[in-house]
Amino acid sequence: MFERFVKDVRRAVVRAAEQEAQELGSVTVEAEHLLLALAADEDSAVGRLLAGSGLDHDGLYAALERETERSLAAVGVALTDFTPLRPTAPRRQPRFAASSKSALHRTVQIAASRKDGYITPPHLLVGILRADIGTVSRALAAAEIDRVELLTQAEGLLG
Amino acid sequence: MTETIPDFPTDPGDGLAAAVALRRLADRVEDAEVERALRAGWTWSQVADALGVTRQAVHKKHAKRLAAGGAAQGRR
Repeated sequence: MFERFVKDVRRAVVRAAEQEAQELGSVTVEAEHLLLALAADEDSAVGRLLAGSGLDHDGLYAALERETERSLAAVGVALTDFTPLRPTAPRRQPRFAASSKSALHRTVQIAASRKDGYITPPHLLVGILRADIGTVSRALAAAEIDRVELLTQAEGLLG
Repeated sequence: MTETIPDFPTDPGDGLAAAVALRRLADRVEDAEVERALRAGWTWSQVADALGVTRQAVHKKHAKRLAAGGAAQGRR
């Protein structure tokens, strides 16, 4: 299924997500890196929808940092400046972690259940936003964005 | 004496997210500091000792990316 997804259409988004992960010094590609890749495409319908909720690439980035800050604070770790931690030599081939694989699997299932013979960025956005637990949902909460409402809007893009 | 250790988060979701964030933070600190140490002239063996892992392990994990970034020389 995962292979079909990659082959099908979204090679570009998947590649962009890998780059997002590398730029952040992440050893894995997570669902949030897929979302960052979607947000980076500002002129797309998905990019515009996200920007409408304040989640353009920078906005999403800020929301993710806020989430990390909050989560660390919960165990008494304070981190306000991430810049010194950004490695100058990123890991070369980050691997897809469970969160991104699940999002991609959901995306394929959504397209299949709608009998869409193709997968588009809106399918992927819906696949990412359907997860009610995890970093993405927590980042949205940290940015005071209603995930369910955003999901409904994303589903609207599917037509 | 002041209590500096916070109570553990009451919501398991917060506690689990903290574990995720700490793991990512540890990865980032390791990446940044291994690079810094090598640039400062530490050998792979010294870095490995400092991290408490084998030289092979630290080399396998970091050599490729640092070679690409120009940080690692041929030091052992």
